[in-house]
This record gives sequence, structure tokens and C-alpha cells, in this order.
Amino acid sequence: MTTTLDAPAEAPVRNTKPRKRIGFHGLMMTPGTALLALLSVIPLVTITAMSFSRVRLLGGVVFDNVGLTYWARLFGDLDLWVQWLRTIAFFVLTVGLEMLLGLGFALCLWKLVRARNLLLTLFLLPMFVAPVIVGLLGRFLTDSTFGLYTWLLGLVGYHGDILGGGTSAFLAVVAMDVWEWTPLITLVVLAGLTAVPQSIREAAALDGANGWQTFRHVLLPSISGVLLVALLIRSMDAIRYFDIISVTTNGGPADATKTVPIRLYETAFRFFDLGYAAVIGLVMLVVTILIARAFVRVLDRKGLTR
Amino acid sequence: MTSAIDRTPLRARLGVRAVVIVGLLWTLVPLVWMVASSFKSDVDVTAAEPEFLFQPTLENYRSLFTGANNLGPYIWHSVLASGISSALAVAIGALAGYGLAGTRMRAKKHVAFWIISTRMAPIAVVVLPLFLLFRGANLIDSIPGLILAYLTFNLPFAIWLMSAFFAEVPPSVEESALVAGCTRWQAFWHVVLPLTKSGLVTTFVLCLVFSWNDYAFALVFSGPHSQTLPIAADQLVTQTGIDWGQLTAIGTIVVLPMIAAGLAVRRWLVTGLTLGAVTGE
Repeated sequence: MTTTLDAPAEAPVRNTKPRKRIGFHGLMMTPGTALLALLSVIPLVTITAMSFSRVRLLGGVVFDNVGLTYWARLFGDLDLWVQWLRTIAFFVLTVGLEMLLGLGFALCLWKLVRARNLLLTLFLLPMFVAPVIVGLLGRFLTDSTFGLYTWLLGLVGYHGDILGGGTSAFLAVVAMDVWEWTPLITLVVLAGLTAVPQSIREAAALDGANGWQTFRHVLLPSISGVLLVALLIRSMDAIRYFDIISVTTNGGPADATKTVPIRLYETAFRFFDLGYAAVIGLVMLVVTILIARAFVRVLDRKGLTR
Repeated sequence: MTSAIDRTPLRARLGVRAVVIVGLLWTLVPLVWMVASSFKSDVDVTAAEPEFLFQPTLENYRSLFTGANNLGPYIWHSVLASGISSALAVAIGALAGYGLAGTRMRAKKHVAFWIISTRMAPIAVVVLPLFLLFRGANLIDSIPGLILAYLTFNLPFAIWLMSAFFAEVPPSVEESALVAGCTRWQAFWHVVLPLTKSGLVTTFVLCLVFSWNDYAFALVFSGPHSQTLPIAADQLVTQTGIDWGQLTAIGTIVVLPMIAAGLAVRRWLVTGLTLGAVTGE
């Protein structure tokens, strides 16, 4: 890019040598990457060390090496495997529903040419709500005596304690995440749809494509890249979903909503079993990195990374 | 815009409208109900039949600021911690983002992946070791501790996002500045950086929203001297019951500024929320 013009910028000859090595761009990156390294490498080393140690907190932080004890425990921990399955179920449900609803809403908004911008603005609001507030608001709306949604469900004949029953509590926390993040998908898909050139759609109409065919063969391929990015970004967040569950059910009732992040938090900060918590955390990290790798690879193949 | 192909049959148009109306109800009812409830008296909030018409009162807000647990300090902590953390993230992130966008080093891809992977790391994986490190460094229950903790997710986000905005600036702009005799720094500071003003604002606002809304980090790291608004909201949930009137009032206070900020940068949200992987419109 600026290759040909490097020369006039580097005035004193004395300076060219060290500059050549990292260059101006490298120099600019230094503060950021150095700080980021501090904030990520040190914690990573610490958590790895934790996973091999019994951590004592009284009288300063002390690590007692216990070797692979905690790692060995991982394999016999049936609860944890169940919690992983639950996390995956959670993940599939929330992300799946968000994609479907987001796509549906985006298509409808796209059809409404005139009021589109105002409506989109209203659709976006949940995205900015703190997840804790989403959770607490969810509790408020589903309270068994005065919740608005409890009352509405009562009108159609459902009279259960929503957050008190296993399945309903699970579905309720799914719904809360779906409420918060469907707007993101709507926003991204709508941006993708408005970018589809009119001429392509006209050509499809001339060829006699009906609504579904146009969607399937014209619109969907043109927004597939956008959809993919949205899907993968949501996936990364859905795995670490913590706030809403923590304030609504905190894993209950009877563990029905206990996902891996909740289990990890409880292991670390309720039972102060920090070594084992570190093991659970590292496994989560590996899973996340695998997803992120897939994210980058797919985007690369689609030519979406710069 | 309304060409022949957009002229859908009446039934389909009604269907579209129905979906949008249902979608709007699903989206807005909780928020409207929260704001409405914050102006209700205790009796109205917990009425078994929902009260749609009620005598509005400011009682909930008044007791939030005059009661034993004054909300003022919480707001101040939130403003300080998320504001400073976001400002730092944008400042450092702009430099690094510029570097990342322009660099031609071979390991660029790996560096970029490393940066973004720190943003995507599970919160607990960051919280756990930081908890020990902060204990050692006396950073638990302090605003600097929170600022640093928020930087763990704000900084990689800011670097990545700013590099997306810098990549949009045509290289010729910088080249002509250099030809005109600017130093590299002057070209960056006076020519390239001003062109990414919208990127800077968007990055700041999104960082602000993320840290303002944070609960997991504040839960672990903050104490009486640093608790933020989301913690204040959570603390209203006690063994004896929840004061829903006050809770909806806190909710309103937490949510409204972020909605305003988020909508202010709506045009660049697609770029922001997809980390620049998709540039909207």
C-alpha cells in the first residue's frame, strides 16, 4: 500500500534500521498488543498453573502442586458432561431460534419500505439492555402471582410456575436470550438484504420465480455470508451465556438450567474449588477456540476477512 | 423503490404486517412494562390483575436516591469504570487497529486471530485467574481493577473494529499526505484518524454498552467501593423478597442511556457488531 512512499517519510538515516524491523505500523501496534498480552497471556499461564494446583487463599495466594488430580476428576464427572449437553442444547435452541426469527423479521421489515427505519429502530432496543436486567425483568414478567406473562398465559389456560418447573424454566431462559439477541440477526440480515441489487431481483421476477424461489435461489445466496457471520458471532456469545441464568434461576430448579458457565462460577466462587474450576474453564476455552477457528476459516474461504 | 416486483398480493402484505406487529409486541412489551411499572406504587406493581391504568408516582425513584442504599455511588462507579475503560480501549485500539490494518508482516493473520480470540474467551476463563492476580495486586473492589477487567474484552474488540474502519480508508489518502511532507505520525493524526471519526464513536459506544452492562466481572471483582449499577439491581433481590417497583426503576436507569447511545450509532452497528467482518448497507 504505502510501500513506494516509505522513503520520504523516514528522514534520518540513523533511524531506518530499527524502524525497518518493526516499521511504523508495528510501532503503532505495540502498546495495544503489549497490554493485550499482559491481559491475556498472564491469566492464561495463571489458570493453567491453577489447574495443577490446590489454591489456598488464606494468608496470600498459595499454589500447592497436586499434579493431574483435577484433570483426572474431569473424566469421572458425570454431572459436568450432562451440563455440557445442556449447554449444547441451549446453544442450539437459542442460536437456532434467533436465526429463524431474525431472518423472518428482517424479510418482513424489508418488505415494508416506508416505515422500515422506524420499525427497525424499535426492533433493535433489546440489544442494548443489560443481560442482568433482561433476567430480572424476565423474573418480574413470569412471577407466579403478579407477572404479566403469567397472567397472559393464564388467559390461554397455562397455570404453572414458569421458573419453578424444569422444562418451563429452561425454555424461559432460552426465550430471554432470544428476546435480547434476535434483533442483532434482524439488523445484520436486513443490511444484507438491502445490499442485494434490485436488478437481480427484477431478473428473477422476469424469469417467473415465485416468492419462495426468489428467496431460496436469489436472496438466500446473496446474504449467506452475512448470515454466517451473524451465526458465528452469536455462537461465541451463546457458549458463555451467564448473566441471565445467574439472576433468574441460578442453575435451578433441580439443575434444569445449570450450564457449564454456571457450574464453573459455582465451583470457583461458592465452593472455592479453584483448581477444578480452572480445569472446567480450560476445557471451555478449548471449545471456544475451536469454534473461533472454524469462524475464521469459513470467513476466509468466503473471502470475508480483509 | 416500489417497482413491479415489490407489489406483493394483499394477503401477503397483511401477513407481513401481522408478523411485524407480533414481533413488535414481543420486543416492546417487556420494556414498556418495565418503564410503566417503575412509575407504579407498590400496590399497583404487585396487583394480581395487571394494572394498565394507574396513578403514576415517582416514589420508586425517590426511594432509590434517598433510601439507605443510595443509588448515586453505583451510578458514579458505572460511569467511571465503563467510561474510562472504553476511552482507553478506543485510544489504544485506534493505534493498534491502524497498525493491524496497515501492516504487511507475515504473521498478521495469526496476530489478528490471537487478538480476536481473547475477546471470545469465555468470561469465566478470564475472571478466574484475574481474581487471583487482583487479590495479589490489591485490585479487588477498586475502580482501576474494574477498568482493567473491562479492558480484557474492550481492548481486543476496539483493536479489531478500528482496524476494520482503518481498512476502509483508501491508502492514497495517506500517501498524498506523506508526499505533501507529513511525517507518518502527522499523516495518521491529522489525515487518517479524522476520517475514521464514525469508527471511533461507534467503537467507544459499543465498548461503553458492553462494560456498562457487564455483570459477571463486577460480580467477582467489585465490592462496596466499586459496585456498579447491574450489581445494585441484583442486590435488590433479597431473601425477604424483591422490591419490584425499585427494581424496574433501576432497570429503566440502566437501560435508557445505553439505548440512546446505541441508537445514536445505529448506522455503523452492523460493522460494529460483526466486528467489521460485514460492512452493512
